[in-house]
Amino acid sequence: MAHNADTEDLRRIGTRLAMLQYMAFAVFGALAASFCVLQVFQHAKYEEMAENNHQRTLPLRAPRGVVFDRDGKVLVENRHSFGISIVREHTRDLNRTIHLLSDVLGIDEASIRETVDRHRREPSYRPIPIVQDATLAQVAAVTARRLDFELPDVVVEPMPTRQYPEKMAAHLFGYVGEVSDAQLTDGEGLKSGDVVGQAGIEKIYNMALMGRDGARRVVVNSVGREIRTLEREEPVEGQRIQLTIDADVQKSVEDAFKATPFNGAAVILDPRDGGVLAFASLPAYDPNAFAAGIDRGTWAKLNSDSLRPLNDRAIQGTYSPGSTFKMAVGLAGLEEGVITPETTVHCGGGANFYGRYFKCWKRSGHGSVDLARAIEQSCDVYFYTVGNQLGVDKIHKWSTALGLGVKSGIDLPNEQQGLIPSTEWKRRRLNEKWYAGETISVAIGQGQVSVTPISLAVYAATLANGRSRVTPHLLKAIDEGRGWTPVTPPAPQPVVDISPEKMQAIRDGMWRVVNAAGTGGRARIEGKDVAGKTGTAQVISNAGRLAARTSRNLRDHGWFVFFAPRDNPTIAGVVFAEHGLHGGNAVRIARHVLDTYFAKQGGRPLPPPPTDLKLDMSDSLARSQPADE
Amino acid sequence: MFERRLYYHIDWALLFAILALCAMGVLMIFSATAATPATSRMYVTQSYAIVLGLVAMVVTLSVDYRAFTDKSHLLYIWLLGALLYVVFFGDVQMGARRWIPIGSLNLQPSEFAKVGVALVLAKYFGENRGIPSWPDLAVAGVLTAIPLGLIAKEPDLGTAVTLVPVFMAVAYLAGIQTRILGFLVAALLVAAPVAWQFALKDYQKTRISTFLDPSQDAKGAGYQQIQARITVGSGGLQGKGFRQGTQGQLRFLPVAHNDFIFSVLAEERGFVGVVVALALYLFVIVRTLEAARLAKDRLGSYLVIGVLASFTFQVIYNITMSAGLAPVKGLTLPLMSYGGSSMIATLAAFGLVLNVRMRRFTN
Repeated sequence: MAHNADTEDLRRIGTRLAMLQYMAFAVFGALAASFCVLQVFQHAKYEEMAENNHQRTLPLRAPRGVVFDRDGKVLVENRHSFGISIVREHTRDLNRTIHLLSDVLGIDEASIRETVDRHRREPSYRPIPIVQDATLAQVAAVTARRLDFELPDVVVEPMPTRQYPEKMAAHLFGYVGEVSDAQLTDGEGLKSGDVVGQAGIEKIYNMALMGRDGARRVVVNSVGREIRTLEREEPVEGQRIQLTIDADVQKSVEDAFKATPFNGAAVILDPRDGGVLAFASLPAYDPNAFAAGIDRGTWAKLNSDSLRPLNDRAIQGTYSPGSTFKMAVGLAGLEEGVITPETTVHCGGGANFYGRYFKCWKRSGHGSVDLARAIEQSCDVYFYTVGNQLGVDKIHKWSTALGLGVKSGIDLPNEQQGLIPSTEWKRRRLNEKWYAGETISVAIGQGQVSVTPISLAVYAATLANGRSRVTPHLLKAIDEGRGWTPVTPPAPQPVVDISPEKMQAIRDGMWRVVNAAGTGGRARIEGKDVAGKTGTAQVISNAGRLAARTSRNLRDHGWFVFFAPRDNPTIAGVVFAEHGLHGGNAVRIARHVLDTYFAKQGGRPLPPPPTDLKLDMSDSLARSQPADE
Repeated sequence: MFERRLYYHIDWALLFAILALCAMGVLMIFSATAATPATSRMYVTQSYAIVLGLVAMVVTLSVDYRAFTDKSHLLYIWLLGALLYVVFFGDVQMGARRWIPIGSLNLQPSEFAKVGVALVLAKYFGENRGIPSWPDLAVAGVLTAIPLGLIAKEPDLGTAVTLVPVFMAVAYLAGIQTRILGFLVAALLVAAPVAWQFALKDYQKTRISTFLDPSQDAKGAGYQQIQARITVGSGGLQGKGFRQGTQGQLRFLPVAHNDFIFSVLAEERGFVGVVVALALYLFVIVRTLEAARLAKDRLGSYLVIGVLASFTFQVIYNITMSAGLAPVKGLTLPLMSYGGSSMIATLAAFGLVLNVRMRRFTN
């Protein structure tokens, strides 16, 4: 019986072991099948996931192109700095990262959060820049945390930052900043996080200056530490550009303004081809403040400043030209045959037109004056008379030909346009008829006439070269990687067909402004035959002036347009002293510029920055009459 | 004691397969750990453990297995003592009290519990003929439950659970009726939710719930599982090459040298390597089943099947887990994972298997 039970047991054991063996085969077959599915059929998917795990593409920022002045002096360059960004792809807890980063960097948590929110919709592998120009302490702090594996999703990347070593020409250079959403949709191959020019030449020549970012593909481990570099595409530096700017002349302009309490603008041109030698608008900002992402406080302050430092007065401000307009009227008179250089007009201190008495700025009158003397003395009655005979449309025609009331076409963004009224303009704009009486004010650059400083510079250059209305331009040469290639200056506007003899009368008048008994005597330089014309533009009416005379920002503007030497001029320009009281104060600024320019031409040491320009700070109201030189 | 002719009856094929798996394990441990200074000598430690394990194997196959089963009640009592000692005085590592420090070694008694339970159950069922009765099962169940409870208390739920297959397998071979077996399985399934409620720690619950939906916590507990799947899947057919893996080498996969050693193999050696390893394991299992069949007596069969049960359960579970197809549990892969106690206990257990097979003709 026992034997039977044993046999029974052994047979059962045999069957059950066989059963277990089948099960083992089945289970291992299933395992092999599972691995086959994962490793063979779904391999591509998991391979990609593994790659995303351990490979990262880090941008290598391309430095923007260096900007030189006409002599090869560096105006804008780059310095090495570090940016700190969050890569959300590798974030485990965004709130924790933001909190920790705020601690480590000493930045307000809310502002980091705001930055992150702004980029929330972008792909998570794209770094969100938190700090663009990190201090060494910040870089060290973040790097240490990364080594402790605390911030695997924060990257520190070397990032060239724009630098403007000379604190000048802010509006000319403009500034750079992170690309905006609007700019992204404009195309041009920009991608989020790019730093692009937002104003000035940085904006206009952005595509040339920008360069092409490179990239580095690296292997990282599970805590984000870089193990090795797989491939590396070097960034291509932006193209170098050379400007027509002369850094010394530019500096002289800014130095001279610094010696005055005035803001304003100045544009200095080479009248032969329109190359801009100097370009200033004041008050200015510091472009360096934008280079690494401007902080909100500074930005808000710049925007709310009542002096509007972001406004480029040279191309965006429109002002009444005052007496600087008189050459346009004179030239129109000559060209239209209304006057000859010899025609004289008697000035008795004023004259009647259309039943209204128009005063000359000189109460006692100028007596009998011809064109050159009228310009020299800035006789209002002479130009009232000529203007009256011309009519507004002919003034419009010839001042436009000289570059006023139109855009100059300079290679800077957002140029504004002045206004030279005409009958058509008034009809179209106000749907009103032009009254001949209105022409009288226009003839001395008052009334609705308004111009930008740059257009007056073009005007000065046109009078200087006597032939063509040049297009002011900043780009002299560009290096696209094969050495410097000169840039052809933009073609001048249609040639102004003016006979040299007629032009000569105008130029003689301007020469006498400086070199005879005129208001520009302070610009007289022995042997250089500087020619020019001052202007004083009322900011408000005479009645208003008396009421508000204490207010600085209601003071008259001072103008000086000039060129030199009178024959074959090589420099022309305009100085605009905002609330500068008298044109003469603008002359004092121009004088330093001309001194510097000619010293450099002659190879002499440059004059030191002026300290006392002996400004005339007398308010014209003290003389209880509107002064117009 | 050791008769010379027994030497010819040693199952060299099984031994060879076991050593091949050990060698693959050492290679993979080297690959996973050599790059980090702190762990770079782990493969040496593992090699020592293999040598010690072989010594233990010589011991367990030299003495007739019946001598072991005769003394199994004493071994069992020592085992309980060691487990009790661990529960109260053991070394704490990573939140669990599992080790007894002996000099520079850390002994993990729970690894030896598997052999101990196999021995005691083999003896218990081997003494009874015929189909086991309910009281028999109850006694055997209690013999299994005591060490299981102590190990679970450490806590080391993974190792504790491996004792269940030992009981089931021996009972199955001893002739338990299929419907009773079915009832036991059902009872375990019912017990699972209760255990979920009362016995599982939070981290264990998270592991299981994230297994059901790994994406719900892609960076936390589900992370390991997703990473395991990526590791295996990215290996492809040929693998990325020795030490060329990215998941293991760059530590996207946690404890690669230990719980996830098979994932590293799959990544670096590809599906080809996986098939080789699976075939070796299957060979070991089938060959061991044969040893159970050839055994001279029921006692031998039961002992072999008891040893094989926990081994097989662990192999299957770990490999499934290393492909991200089962919840992550601290269950190592016998013969391959890093771990001295496990290696020594496993090799000693296979010593018993060889022992049973080579003494099939002796009296």
